[in-house]
Parts: sequence; C-alpha cells; structure tokens
Amino acid sequence: MAVIEQPATLTAPARPSVWGRIAAVLALLGRSRVAIAGLILVGFWVVLAIFADDCIIRPACWVGGGSDGTVVSTPWLARYSPFEQFRGRNLEGPSADHWLGTDRNGRDLWARIVQGSRIILVLAPISVLIALAIGGTLGLIAGYFGGQIDELLMRVLDALMAFPQILLYLIIIAALGPSAVNVVLAITIAGAPGIARLVRSLTLDIKTRDYVAAAQTRGESPWYIMFVEILPNARGPIIIDAMLRVGYAVFAIGTLGFLGLGLPPPSPDWGSIVNTGRKFIQAGHPWDALWASLSIASLVVGLNLLADGLSEELGRYR
Amino acid sequence: MELPKGKHNEPVVRVQNLAIAYETHGGDVNAVRDVSFEIHRGETLGLVGESGCGKSTVAYGLVNYLGRNGKIVHGEIIFQGESLVGRSPEELRRLRGDQIAMVYQDPMTSLNPVLRVGQQMTEVLTVHRGISEDAARARCVEMLHRVYMPDPEAVMGRYPHQISGGQQQRVVIAMALLNNPALLVMDEPTTALDVTVEAAVLDLIADLRRDFDTAILFISHNLGVVARVSSRVGVMYAGEMVEQAPVREIFAHPRHPYTQGLMRCVPRLGADKAGSVLYPIRGRVPAPNHLPPGCVFEPRCDYATEHCRQERPALRQISNRHMVSCLRAEHIRASEWRPTEDIIPLLPAADAAEPETILNVDGLRTYYRQSGGSPLDLIGLGKKRYVRAVDGVSFTIPQGKTLGVVGESGCGKSTLIKTLIGLEPMTGGEAQFLGFDLEKKASQRDMGLIRELQMVFQNPDATMNPSYSVGTQIERPLRRFKVVPTNQVHAEVVRLLRAVKLDEHYYDRRPRQLSGGEKQRVGIARAFAGRPDLVLCDEPVSALDVSVQAAVLNLLLEIQREQGTTMIFIAHDLSVVRFFSDYVAVMYLGQIVEIGPAEAIYAPPYHPYTESLLAAVPIPDPSVAQQHIRLEGSVPSPLNPPSGCRFHTRCPRRQLLPDGGAICEREVPPMQDAGDGHQIHCHIPLETLHDLEPVVTIAA
Repeated sequence: MAVIEQPATLTAPARPSVWGRIAAVLALLGRSRVAIAGLILVGFWVVLAIFADDCIIRPACWVGGGSDGTVVSTPWLARYSPFEQFRGRNLEGPSADHWLGTDRNGRDLWARIVQGSRIILVLAPISVLIALAIGGTLGLIAGYFGGQIDELLMRVLDALMAFPQILLYLIIIAALGPSAVNVVLAITIAGAPGIARLVRSLTLDIKTRDYVAAAQTRGESPWYIMFVEILPNARGPIIIDAMLRVGYAVFAIGTLGFLGLGLPPPSPDWGSIVNTGRKFIQAGHPWDALWASLSIASLVVGLNLLADGLSEELGRYR
Repeated sequence: MELPKGKHNEPVVRVQNLAIAYETHGGDVNAVRDVSFEIHRGETLGLVGESGCGKSTVAYGLVNYLGRNGKIVHGEIIFQGESLVGRSPEELRRLRGDQIAMVYQDPMTSLNPVLRVGQQMTEVLTVHRGISEDAARARCVEMLHRVYMPDPEAVMGRYPHQISGGQQQRVVIAMALLNNPALLVMDEPTTALDVTVEAAVLDLIADLRRDFDTAILFISHNLGVVARVSSRVGVMYAGEMVEQAPVREIFAHPRHPYTQGLMRCVPRLGADKAGSVLYPIRGRVPAPNHLPPGCVFEPRCDYATEHCRQERPALRQISNRHMVSCLRAEHIRASEWRPTEDIIPLLPAADAAEPETILNVDGLRTYYRQSGGSPLDLIGLGKKRYVRAVDGVSFTIPQGKTLGVVGESGCGKSTLIKTLIGLEPMTGGEAQFLGFDLEKKASQRDMGLIRELQMVFQNPDATMNPSYSVGTQIERPLRRFKVVPTNQVHAEVVRLLRAVKLDEHYYDRRPRQLSGGEKQRVGIARAFAGRPDLVLCDEPVSALDVSVQAAVLNLLLEIQREQGTTMIFIAHDLSVVRFFSDYVAVMYLGQIVEIGPAEAIYAPPYHPYTESLLAAVPIPDPSVAQQHIRLEGSVPSPLNPPSGCRFHTRCPRRQLLPDGGAICEREVPPMQDAGDGHQIHCHIPLETLHDLEPVVTIAA
C-alpha cells in the first residue's frame, strides 16, 4: 500500500490525572537531595508501620485491637507480637533472634519499636490535620474579615500561644487523663494558634489580589471566597508548615510518653519505651532507650528534611 | 566639571557580536544573539523592544551582572579601548572602576531605606575616592542641584521614603553621576513614575547628556520615551538587534517590518482621532529556545517570503547611518502598508439617535478613615482624619458609550470605579444605574445589579486565580448568573474564548501557561460572560506590551460594538484614551477638573492640568512639536487638600489671572461650559483658555 497512515488528529492536552500530579510532585522532590534523604527516612517508617503485621488485610484487628489479645494478628515485618514475653530472655542485647534485644519483660524491642511507629504515624498526622482545619479556618476568618473579628480572634489565640506548649500538654492531659484521643486533642489545641497566624498572614496578602476583587464583584459569599479563591493559593506554605508540624507532633507524643502521659502501658509507645529503658542504661542495658530515641530522632529529622527540600523546590518555581 | 578629554572618534563602548545565554534545566537559553552597537561620548543609544527581547540582558552583560546562570557565549565588549569579556571579577573592577554606572527601574531598590540620602551619597565619594566628608558633602549638594532637586540641603537629611518617587529617581541619577562615569546604563528609569514626573526626569536625562558628555545606554519599552531622549535608537526583537538608526531617521522611515509594526500599535497624540486607530502585530514574541529557522520575525511579518523562512538576515547597512536586518528592507514601504482584514478594529458606529443615560453619578464621595499615631487612636478617641480619595464627582454616561478617566496616580480614579462597583463603601453622594442605587457594597447588592456591572482589572498576573483552569474561571460567572442552561455552559465558555480570540484548547490551560495578554483576554471574557450593561476597566492594558496592548484595546471595542456595552475606561496616559473613548474626564485630587467629548479635551480650551498632562505625554515621533510645560512638585496629600482650587499649588497658568491668581487659593473654581457638554473647572476665563496654543502640533 502506498497510502501512508495519517497520524491521529491532534487532541487537546488531557487534564492532569491524580496520578499525574503525584508523579509531578515526586519528580519535584527528586530534584532535591535533601528531600530524597527525608523521603527515604520517612518512607522507611511508613513501610514498617503498614506492614508490621497482617492487620492491613484483616480489618478485624483494627476494631478489636491487638493489645488485649482478643484478636491475634500475625506479625510480618515486626516478627513478633509487641506483647509476647519471652521467659528468661529479659534485658538481652541485640542477637539474631531478637534484632534489637529485649526489654525487662522479655518483649522483643524490634517488634515494639515497629508497632510503636504505627501509633505515632497515625496520631501525629491526625492531630496536625485537625489543628490545620481549626487553625486554618480561624486564620482565614481573621485575615479575610479583619477589623474587630481579627482583633478578638488573634488576641485569644495569642493568649493561648503565651503558654509554653509543654505546659499546655500537661494541663490538658492531666485534666482529661492519658489516652490516644486526649493526646491528639492536646496537640491540636497547642498547634492551632500557630497555624491560624500563618494562614492569617497568607490571607492578608492574597485577599488584595484582583481575582479576589473579581469574586467580590460577582457577589460571591465570604465563605466561597475564603475557601475556594484564597485557600488553594495559600497551600504551598501551609503544606510545608504542616510537614514541620508533623515532626513537632512526633516529638510531642514522644515527650508525653516519656512523662508517662502518653498512651497507657502496655502500648509500645516510643516515649514510654525510652522512659522505662532509661533505668537500665547504667545497668549495662542501653538498648531500650537507644533504639526508641533513635527512632524518634530519625522520623523527626526525616520529616524536617522533607519539608526543607519541598520548600526549597517550591520556592524556586514561585 | 573637568572631563578626561578622550579622542572623540573613539566610542566609549563597543559591543561586537555579543551573545548571552542563561543555563537552565532544559539546556542553555540564548537570550541575546549577535548584538553589535557602539556608543560615543555625549550620545544616547535608546534600546527598545517588547518584554523578553533581551534589552535588559544586554545591559546586565555590560556591567557583568548576569547572575549565576548567565554567561557571555561569545562576542566582545570593548570599554574605553579594553576588552571586558573573559576577565576575572578583580580585573573587571579595575578596568571598569567607577566608570560605568547603572540606574534601575525602581528607585527604592537602589536606595537603602535605613540610611539618610546624604549619608548614602557621600559614601560613594568617601569610600571609593577617599574624599573628605565635608568635601564629599559639598559635591553631593552640588550634584543634587544639577538634577534639579528642590532644596537639596534638606533632602540630604531625609530618608528615601520621605521624598517622592520622582525625587528618589533623581537621587539615584545623582549618585550614578557622582563618579563622573563614562557610561551610564539606564534600565527603564521612568517606567515606575507618573507621566508628569517622567517628563521632568526625561528632560533631566537629556540635559545631563549635554552637560556631562556621558555616553548613555537607555532601555525602555516605550517608543515615546526613547524618542524624547535618544540620539540613536536600536530596536531589539527576540534577542537580536533588528534595526539601528538615528532617532529622527528611524521614526520617519522605519525600515524593518517589526519597527513599522511597533509604530502602528502605539497611540499618537499628534494625529487626529481617526489616525490614532491601533493596528496590533499578530502572534507573539517567540521564546528564545523555540526560534523560527529563518528570520526571527518571519512568522509575524506581512512581507515574509520563502527566502525569509530559510535565511536568517544579518544586520546590514542600507544607508549612511541606518542599519537593518531584513532581506527585503529595500522593497518595503511603510506608507504603502494596508492593514489585513483580521486586525482592523470594527469601531462602534456613531449613533444618530440620542441614547438614554445609563449611569448618573452625582456628588460622589469616598473617604478613607486614616488613623494617626496618637495613643488615643488606639481606643478610637483620636481625631478623625479622612483621606478624600473621591470628593464630589458628578457625571453621566449614555448607553453604549465609553467614558475615559485620566489622571496621575493618587487622583482617585481607581477609587471612583471601586466605589461604583461596590468594593469600597460610598461616603456620600448618589449614583444611579439602570434604576438601581449603587449605595450598598457588592456583597449586599441585588444579583440583577451585580450581573449588569462588571470589571476588568489592571494586573494580568493577579486577575486570574492561579489554582484553577481558564475554563473553570469563565464558567463561574456563567453558572452564578445563570446566563445559559447548565448543559450549555461548556459551549458558552468556548464561544466566549473565541470571542476574545483564544482557541478552544485554552479551556484546560492554567494561568501560569498564559502570557500577559492572554490572561487579560480571559479576564475580559470573564467580565463579559454575564453580558453586563456596564463594564469598568481599570487600566486593562497598562501592564501589557505595546503590540498586545493594541490587540486588547481593539478587542474591547469590538465586544462593545457587538453587545452595546457601556464602559468606563481608566488610564494614566491621555494618548491611550483618545481613540477609545467617546467622553473623557480628567481627575485631580479626587475631583473632575475637566470633562467633555474626547475630541474637545485634546484641543484648546484646556484646563491647565489637562494641558500639562498633554505636554508630558511622550510622543513616539520626534518631528511633532510639543509645548514644554512641566508641573512643579508632587500631588498634595488628599488628607489635607489645598483650599480653593486644588490645583493652585502646581498650576502653571495662575499668572494669567490678576494678583497672580490669589482667587485660586480662596475660592472653589466655577464650572465653565464650553459647549457640547465640555465643562472646565477653572477661574481663568474660557476666552483666555481658548487663546492658548495647542500643546501638540504636527510639523508641516
């Protein structure tokens, strides 16, 4: 045949799919070495947390929980249950059986650390997300309406910020009692004012743009303007700030656990592992405290690196 | 002033085949290619071209300020007989010394805000020349005198923010001249200034060239500005120098099709109204990494042939001092050019019947509350002070007509339309539109009113929300105002896109993928989506390149003709308003000083303020004679406007009245009717104003 197939007519460029956008963000991160280092550290813990045991394919153990033993999950990456006590093997150093050693009750430290990462990787982002929702809304309202509403809201939030964060945590947990929900609540209350400040300052800037004026001349409602016109354009700094805040939240959960205000035992909480382990450091068994501290440190450093790399790359294209 | 007596035939700077590239992720981008020019003592070379044509890159190349990713690929820069290319920074400093000075667009970026003017200026001499503090001070004061700074001694003791923008630029120029440089590079030095201030700074630059015998490289996108100060003009396009000739020659006989196109798309005060129709250049400047294979201008050229597509023309001499890079330069005659069908604007036909009034504004006032610094203000007990942004403005507009509003920045023209559209609360007065009262803010207005009253904004980069696609943003008013049934929204968006001459493919584009002109078109499509009766345009073209400017203006006119829309069009430049408007209002300090049919505004009798504005507008034609009227000082504060006639503090025509215009300080000027709705608010009798010479006269 002499006829040459005509190429298909030009089509309009397709809308970027969700996966396309994720790929774009990853490509952006890939340019920054700092971000890659952060991504590896955080990714390490995320993978461990997800595949610690087979809960990911057995919804029953999410509801019943593994701690009271009603539903027994099969350990995958964690190798053992975090609650199983190996008789006569307490306070051992790292070995082939117990990679990181055992604690004073003979529980496998690797299993506890890995399970502990799951707790922290659920609680920290949740508390930041709630703080973001509350602080973000307050910041938008204060920044967009301005005037007396702004004064009132910001003075109340200033008052809240005047307390040292650790004191706020202690007050809230002491009043409500230690539990996962109250830890989230404490971090939310302590974090929301800072987010509100950031969002307010971004709003003050963005609300002077012409497209906001255009929306006002269309008679749009203030809520539409705040959440549809302004908020999406503030997302860059908010995302970076949120990532740093997840790091702080990890730290805060660790601190609360260390002070005995975190999750009640026998939960494999990293902070409480450090706390119980510190008594045996001088007895020649530093492993509990060492591994748990390293875990907290590596996760926080990873999150910070990720935020740094992201802000660097976003700043370059602003 | 002593001058090093150099050989006068030797150029101060000679640039040969200069090519500059920026390194990016996607490889090198050749921003400037094979540019050659030379500047002699006492000569000003004006570089013009649209944004992205490499003008500033050439300037940065000269002062070796290309940034980390910029580099000179090849070529020579010979400054006072020594080559500057390929030298180490240390050698460059020695060779160049303080012999090259640079003045940037925004004076505030060149001045240190925490140091007094005097301190910054004397530092230049004490640090670099080792002159004693007292001697340096004396020289600085003298230099400030030279740049016509009023009261130099006092200015030395002020901080930069305490003096006006025009004065700041004078300080920067004075600082640049302190070391008596051989070459002065000025990158858009007047772009950030008002027309009246710009005119004064341009006069200064022209004087300095004569007095100091300096070589000046003057960069501007504004043909009128370049025509006023340059002795020679180089036109740059897409990183290449396409034409270079003495200023009179290039404006009288432009040879390159691009230069000719540029001249046709800038409005001229010299010509009559019909002659000020603008013809845009089609297409846009190519990106430096996607250049056409042949002549860089070929895709936009009306004269292009097959030859042009294949061969890239070099800059060649076609007459004594005229150089052009066009293969067909000898065959092209600007006078024989006829616009092609697609770029002739379809102007609204003059309507014989008297249309009814659509907007009636009476005594409109908008004041802003200004809080002072006293502690009483904190608790709301301080003395209330008001910025009188708009103070008693009255006018009417008939259906389907355009009112142009002109004035310097701070005259209240933007506040006026923001009040009308409901972005600012009205303090007093009345505004009636289609039977609606415009008293309420936009959020409390009736949807029917909101739909009929829309706005086109100034800044193309802020007019669109960067988070949403073009289609989504045009859809929003369609859905909100229920212009068409939901299932036809998409079709209507496409129709609107076509109406503003954008392709259907733009539906899914993001704002960052658009050029400034395209963004402004989308903004226009959005404003006209609800088919409003009145559209307010806040300097919609002032941030655009000239060729795009013309296209956007013509587009607005065409939509107006189709839909019969009424418009208020704000501009700071009287020449832009001229062919666009049916009526023109001139504002000063919150008040209208003159209003009338467009033609009447541009001929005597003028209000003295209108006269000075017309005299300040840079005209891109050196053969046009323009009267030399310059306003003294800056616009007084609207917090405390002058008594009587607000213009009396700066009025150049006060002397025409008995007692040197004592009445102007005491009494508010009466409204004088010059017929045909032309009103002038001035104490000077109409007959006297009528006898004044026209500001602009075209040489025979």
